[in-house]
Amino acid sequence: MNTNLVFGQYYHVDSWLHRLDPRTKLLGTLILIVTLFLLDTILSIAVAFVATLLLILSSRIPFSKFLRSLKTMTTLLLITVLFQLFFNRGNLLAEFAFTLTTVNLAVIVGVFVLFFLSKKVIRSHRFFLFLILVVFAFFLQAVLKSGKVIANYSLAIYEEGLFTSLKIVLRIITLLLISSLLTLTTKPADVNMGMEKLAKPLKFIGVKVSILSMMISIALRFIPTLINEAGRILKAQASRGVDFKEGRFMQKVTQIISLLVPMFVISYRRAYELADAMEARGYIPDAERTSISLLKFKASDYLTLIFTLLVFGGIIALKVIDYAV
Amino acid sequence: MGINFSEVNFSYQAPRKRRAVVYTLKDINLEIKDKDEFVAIVGHTGSGKSTLVQLMNALLLPHSGKLEIFGTEVNKKVTLKPIRKRVGLVFQFPEYQIFEETVLKDIAFGPKNFGLADPEGRAREVADIMGISDLLERSPFTLSGGQLRKVAISGILASDPDILILDEPTVGLDPFTKSELLGLLKRLNEEYGKSIIVITHDMGVVSGYAKRVIVLKEGRIVFDGDKKSLFKKESLLEEYDLDYPETVRILKAVKERFHVDIDVNQHSIQDAYEEILKAFGGGHEH
Repeated sequence: MNTNLVFGQYYHVDSWLHRLDPRTKLLGTLILIVTLFLLDTILSIAVAFVATLLLILSSRIPFSKFLRSLKTMTTLLLITVLFQLFFNRGNLLAEFAFTLTTVNLAVIVGVFVLFFLSKKVIRSHRFFLFLILVVFAFFLQAVLKSGKVIANYSLAIYEEGLFTSLKIVLRIITLLLISSLLTLTTKPADVNMGMEKLAKPLKFIGVKVSILSMMISIALRFIPTLINEAGRILKAQASRGVDFKEGRFMQKVTQIISLLVPMFVISYRRAYELADAMEARGYIPDAERTSISLLKFKASDYLTLIFTLLVFGGIIALKVIDYAV
Repeated sequence: MGINFSEVNFSYQAPRKRRAVVYTLKDINLEIKDKDEFVAIVGHTGSGKSTLVQLMNALLLPHSGKLEIFGTEVNKKVTLKPIRKRVGLVFQFPEYQIFEETVLKDIAFGPKNFGLADPEGRAREVADIMGISDLLERSPFTLSGGQLRKVAISGILASDPDILILDEPTVGLDPFTKSELLGLLKRLNEEYGKSIIVITHDMGVVSGYAKRVIVLKEGRIVFDGDKKSLFKKESLLEEYDLDYPETVRILKAVKERFHVDIDVNQHSIQDAYEEILKAFGGGHEH
């Protein structure tokens, strides 16, 4: 089970962000994300990043919780950086010449074969190790030039590439931090309720908002239950000799099927039972429903929204008068 | 051989500094032989029964202490598959683990995973013992609850474990299927010499089938011995949160009502009947 998913990982402390109305937080998050994409210069993105850090500080949630959501994106970030770094042209900053020869190719292949064979011996920090090996492979091509030359090539880094990749990384990190801030300070049920309230006007164009939000809240409610069930079935199949860590490809497929089929069966059963239980307690899909807790805007909500809108409006105004932000 | 616990502690929490760890199982010392045992594990909800049997199957690993299963000390480094082949664990509501298209394939799934020869042949053999040979070609999803339970148990039995552990095997079954299933377990124990371990809340199961009883309370083993000495205790309910089996309760009522001197500690209907006859002087009537 992937515990890295910040989704639904509400972190309970008391802060002004936790106390805000979910509608405020949803709207605020949306506006901030749009604003973030309006920013073009590295300086303004950096300011946004620092501002986000300050928000995080005021939420009193340990920073490690946020790091987790960033961790899942490391690979994506790295790939983006590399692409931006090498494919943007402009002012040349540095150029590296590489030569691929029979000798260094053999060494590189050997090193990577060793890396994959060491799977059972070295278990931790494999991704990190892999990166070091990739860097090593290029280093080798720059230094060790004996043997028959296969290819000569060079990689160039331009100023533009460096800046764009920096901007993109900062922007993605800020984006992730802002959205984690929403999910960490708001219970999934509250997010759902806020969305239902915000989406209310959609009913005039025929969208059944209350049904949709009931579906979402049921889905959220059953995530932990299903994770528990999956754990139970994993154990049950493990005692029938399924080894989810090892095995060849075909075995892996059977192993996954042995988990998925029971999960489907259980989900369907639960769905039918829940539907019956809801009907027995008088649930009518289209009926007007009241809520046990009412959302109410407080002074702090108005202040937050006004401030966010001011920031948003300010950025737009600056854009309009052609000031580079 | 068999399963050996010595001073095993277990906690679901990862070991931490500063904060005290809540142990689900504390100071477990236990030996289970690989032959002829019929053990009932009883105890209040949350007393650690299910955790204990998952340790026996190496699905969970001990926090501290030594756990040996068939001579292998269980820890993170050893391969656990051979252990799971020899100790079969049937979970509560095992019917949910069934996934193949036919009953035969599902029963053969275990032996196939363990790399045993002729998985389907084994499946047929086990199905014959369990009395479900006629269901082999059916889809598991068309079967009744009781039939599914038998298929699931067959799925474990097909790997031919020496020790068979069942977590509440009779929950949710009708009385007929229940006694049929328990009869099968008894047969496996007596005819095939397999060690059977059953978690149960049903004192009737303990009284009628078990040879040895282990009582868990708040993660500790508070009783380990034969059933007669367990039910001899006067304060079973207060001490262990347990009730007396029906035969004992009926004989107690008879003893109180008629002020006769009988041994209430009887565990089959036949024994209880004879005890009553003896008390009323009618033992030679037939």
